[in-house]
Amino acid sequence: MNNDVQQRVLKAIAEVLERKEEEIRLDASLRDDLAFDSLKQMTLFILLEDEFHRTMPPDDLLGIATVKDIIDFIDRKLREPAPT
Amino acid sequence: MNRRVVITGAGVVSSIGTGVDEFWHNCLQAKSVVAPIPENWKRYANLHSQIWSPLPDINPDYLGVARTERLQLDPVSMLAIGAAREAFERAGFNLVPDAERSRLFSIAGADAARTGVYLGTGIGGVHTLLHSHTHHLFQRARATLKDYSENRAPTQDREMLDGVLALMAHGPRYHPFQVSMLMSNASSAAVAIKFSITGPNVTYCVACASGTVAVGNAYCAVRDGCIDIAISGGCEHLDDEHGSIFRSYDIAGTLVRDCADPQAANRPFDEKRSGFLFSQGGAAMLILEDLEHAQRRGATIMAEVIGFAETFDAHSMMSLAPGGEQIERMLRAALADAGVGAHDVDYINAHGTGTKNNDETEAEIIDRVFGKSVRVNSTKSLLGHAIGASGAIEILVTALSLRDQTTHICRNLEAPLRDLNFVRTAGQFDLRVALSQSFAFGGHNAAVVLRRFG
Repeated sequence: MNNDVQQRVLKAIAEVLERKEEEIRLDASLRDDLAFDSLKQMTLFILLEDEFHRTMPPDDLLGIATVKDIIDFIDRKLREPAPT
Repeated sequence: MNRRVVITGAGVVSSIGTGVDEFWHNCLQAKSVVAPIPENWKRYANLHSQIWSPLPDINPDYLGVARTERLQLDPVSMLAIGAAREAFERAGFNLVPDAERSRLFSIAGADAARTGVYLGTGIGGVHTLLHSHTHHLFQRARATLKDYSENRAPTQDREMLDGVLALMAHGPRYHPFQVSMLMSNASSAAVAIKFSITGPNVTYCVACASGTVAVGNAYCAVRDGCIDIAISGGCEHLDDEHGSIFRSYDIAGTLVRDCADPQAANRPFDEKRSGFLFSQGGAAMLILEDLEHAQRRGATIMAEVIGFAETFDAHSMMSLAPGGEQIERMLRAALADAGVGAHDVDYINAHGTGTKNNDETEAEIIDRVFGKSVRVNSTKSLLGHAIGASGAIEILVTALSLRDQTTHICRNLEAPLRDLNFVRTAGQFDLRVALSQSFAFGGHNAAVVLRRFG
């Protein structure tokens, strides 16, 4: 797992939730543990788009349930060719 | 209930300055920012006007919005929030961060339920609408064409195809918050959310008179005892990647045509005027407050609001009615509401766009109603026309003029179209009562009357 990606994802989640990064566990469920609703989830992903300069269409996000899922998803996205 | 209403704070973002101090200093220096329109816009259309008045880079600290907010707000709403924040602080209110949501504030010393937001905008989040719409139109078509150009097109066609692909450039996404960003009421809602204001929240979409109508109705709400405090003004952001908004005013023939000398092109009330200078936008927000409420908390008072009226021409979508019968009725109603006569008015901040039709009719009406001694200027001679923000910016100029007993000149006015007392040299004046008026596409007419305080 890319440590830089992990830190930046945790920072983005903390920004959306207005909580401290250290309070967010990697195995936390977005919905059950962090109380993400659909609006907060959309907010998080536009923040991640801004952070990583990658487009993340809503259909790509199906199946993402935990913080670790997001980090893995971003890792995969960053291995794709950068947009022109 | 008929309470006295005063202005206790203001904030402003404009092409000639961010923040009231910088803005007012530059007004009095007759500063104007005029620049060539972006080269990219010319790839899409033949444009008659070639200049505009762009906004400066605005310090994010002024706007006071976090990244999560910035990514969910059209620029027009960020301008409104920045100007509102400055207005509250200048009015002496302490902004207290919310215990759980630190990017939001409450206003210490203000009853949130008796505070209202009255905001005008001509077009709202049109920047977001066009940005996402370009993506919507071109994303799939461009991908298909790009694939063809790169893999199957004859070599001799590739240069042409690259040119077409460049014209189809679009943003990276269709924004998931598109609706809440573009809707006309987004800015007034954003201001109220940011500052936890739970009283009336109203957006006035009255084109070029939006800011004036918003401030006027805020005045009525405070005067009539519906609320104690109003944050009121106007905001606009007229910019898109392809120059489509600029083109819509250009094709209507409203924009300044004679651009040979860009610095002298914008000349309201001058015989050589040829249209208005298109402004990228701006915002002005005013705190209107019940006088007793303001005095109880020791607020500094900028000026008093004493009258407001609005009428409608019912004549043409884009032209003032010849003779200006409804404008004159509006002015006389505003004076009656203020309890003053036309001869009491010392200064008029005119609509003064610089179009042939507006300035001729407006000057004729000023002459008829107020005579030749009242001082007249056009803030648009400095800033250009910021549409829904302009009325509020001009009320701010009017209030500052009363406060400081001076005002700015009518820039580039060399050959006045009528013998009126246009402000052509800066100086100290005796200004007691002043009026700011706006007219709008559609046929809306409105004016707010102010009085020097103290």
